Amino acid sequence: MAAADVAYAPPMKSGKAGYEGGVPEVQHRIRITLSSRNVKNLEKVCRDLVTGAKGKKLTLKGPVRMPTKVLNITTRKSPCGEGTNTWDRFEMRVHKRVIDLVSSPDVVKQITSITIEPGVEVEVTISD
Amino acid sequence: MAGRGAGGGGRKTRNFATFRLFPRAGAADPNDRVFVRVDNNDYNVPGFADEDPFDSNFTADAADLHSFASGPLPEHVRREILELGLPDDGYNYLSHLRELRPAASAASSFVPNSTARPEPLPLDVKAYDASRVRVAPSADDLDEGKTMCKVAAKTAPLRRVQRALDPDVARLLDESDFSHGGSEDEGLEEDFVIMANQAEGDDEVEEEEEELGNGIFSDVEEEKEEEEFEDEPKPRVRRLLDEQFDLLALEEYGDSDDDDDDRGGRDGDYELPSEAIEELKLFCDQNGCVDEDYRTPADFVRGRLESTTADEVDESANVIQKCAEYAERYLNEPAEEKETVLVSESSDESEVWDCETIVSTYSNLDNHPGKIETPGNRRKRLPRVFPGETATTNDLIKLHGKEKLPVDYLPQRKRNGEKEKKVKPAEAFNAEKVKKEVHKETKEEKKARKAAVKEEKREARKAKKELKGLYKSETQKAQKVAAVTGPSSIRLM
Repeated sequence: MAAADVAYAPPMKSGKAGYEGGVPEVQHRIRITLSSRNVKNLEKVCRDLVTGAKGKKLTLKGPVRMPTKVLNITTRKSPCGEGTNTWDRFEMRVHKRVIDLVSSPDVVKQITSITIEPGVEVEVTISD
Repeated sequence: MAGRGAGGGGRKTRNFATFRLFPRAGAADPNDRVFVRVDNNDYNVPGFADEDPFDSNFTADAADLHSFASGPLPEHVRREILELGLPDDGYNYLSHLRELRPAASAASSFVPNSTARPEPLPLDVKAYDASRVRVAPSADDLDEGKTMCKVAAKTAPLRRVQRALDPDVARLLDESDFSHGGSEDEGLEEDFVIMANQAEGDDEVEEEEEELGNGIFSDVEEEKEEEEFEDEPKPRVRRLLDEQFDLLALEEYGDSDDDDDDRGGRDGDYELPSEAIEELKLFCDQNGCVDEDYRTPADFVRGRLESTTADEVDESANVIQKCAEYAERYLNEPAEEKETVLVSESSDESEVWDCETIVSTYSNLDNHPGKIETPGNRRKRLPRVFPGETATTNDLIKLHGKEKLPVDYLPQRKRNGEKEKKVKPAEAFNAEKVKKEVHKETKEEKKARKAAVKEEKREARKAKKELKGLYKSETQKAQKVAAVTGPSSIRLM
C-alpha cells in the first residue's frame, strides 16, 4: 500500500525556480511611469521592461498608454513686425506609459537598471 | 493602501514613495543611474534608494569633511586640491570633480592644430633650413669654395620657425643664447678670426672676439681691427681707436681724395684702390667705346683698318688739324667782349589807367556784381499765383513728402485742401443742428457725409497716384544728383 500511496501520490505542482528561495521579501505595488518626447525610444524601453518583468514572473499590468500631451507654441515668424503676418506653430509631444507590477523593490531595481534609452524619464512609485 | 490615518480634514495617508532615475553626478558613464526620492512622504522603502541626493557627499572622506565643515580641510584633501592646481582657500573643490569617461579620454586628448602656421621670425634674425646638407664624412678635401657651394645648394631660407615643443629642447635653445663665451670647449666655436689675429702678433683671446667671429656676416671689418687693441692699456687704446675712427669717419662722410694711400692695405678690398678709380675717371672722360681692337685715326688713314665711308678716312686724316683749330678758337673766345643786351623798361605813361581800359580792379573771382534792378517785389511773383495762401510770409520753400516737392505751390493739392476745409466745418455744423431730429435722417446724413468723405479720399488717392507718376522721373533725376552731391541721409525714392 505504501507503494500505491507513493504511486498515487497526487502530482505536486513543481514550484517555479524563483519560489525556491521562498518569498520572504515584502511585495509592494510598484508603478513605473515612463515619459518621453520620443515614441520610438519609449516603446522600446516599455517593451524591454515588460519582457524583463515577465521573465521574472511578476504580476504585470501591461503598458497603459496615457493620452499624449501636446504643448503648442504659436509665434510670429517675423523678428520685426514687417511683412505678411505668418505664424509658426511649434509643438512638443510628451508620451507617457504606465506599468504596474507587484514585486519587491530589489527586483524592480534590477529590471530598471538594465534597459535604458536616452530621453526616456523613469519614475518609480512604490506603495504597499 | 492603508486606511485613513489622519483626521477628517487631512489628506489620505500617503503610503507611497516615488523615485526617479537620474544619472549619477560626476559619473563617467551616462548609464550609471541612481534612484532618487522625489516626494516628501513618511513612507519608507528600505533598500531601494540607498543614495539620497544629500548623501552623495557622505562618502568615506566626505564624512571627515562634514565634521570639518566650519574648520580647515583635512590635510590629504588639501594636498589633493593643490595637486590639481586649484587654490587652497578652504573650499572643497573635490566635490565638483567628474570622472572621465573611458571613450572620452581618447576624444579629449590633445589634437595638434593642423591649420596653425609656425611663428614668423623676428626681423633681426635669419633662419636657414640646412636639413638636406650632407656633411662630408672625411675631413680632407675641404675646399672652401666647393663646400660653400654644396651647403648653399641645399640650404633654403626660412621665414617661419616652429618653436620647439619639447621642454628640454626649448630649454637648450634658450640656453644657447646666454652661455656663448662660457667655456672654450663648447662645440661650434669658430676661431679663424683669432687665428688671423694671432698671425698679426696678437696673442690674447677675448670673448668678444669669438662673438664677432661667429657674426661672420657682419659687414664692418673695422670693428675687428679695433678689437685687436683691446688688451692694451686703456688710454693708449683709446687714442688708436680714436684715430682709426676719425679716419673711418672721414672716409665715409668726408672728402675722399686725400687719404687714399693709407686706405688701401688696411681696409681690405671693400674699396677699389685709388689708381683704379682714377683710371675709370679717365675712361669716362674719353667716352670711347672699346672694341676688341683699339682704333686710332691713324689706322683709318694708313689703311690698317677698314672703314665704311670715305668720309671717315678724310676726317681721320684731318683730326689733328681740327683739334688744333678748335683749341685756338677756344683760347680766343673768352677774349671777345660779350654783347650787351638792353632791356627797355616801360615808360611812366603806361602806369596811368584810363576809363577805357579799366572799370575796377576787382576781379569776378572775388566780386560778383549783380544786376541793378528796381527795388521790391521781384520774388513775390511766385506766391502771387496762389492767392489766399497764408503761408508765404517766410522765404523758405518747404519740401514735403518722399518726392521732396514744394507742397505749398502745387495746384491740385491746394484745391482739394480748400474743398475739404470748406466741407468739413459746414457739415459738422449741420450735424450738430440736426442731432435731435429723426434718427433716420441723421443716419442718412451720416451716410452721406461718410460717402462724401470717401469720395474725397478716392479723388485724393487718384490725384496722388497721378502726381507720383508724373514726378517719378523727377525723383530719379534728383536721386542721381543727390547721389553725387547730397549727403547720404536724404532718401528720395
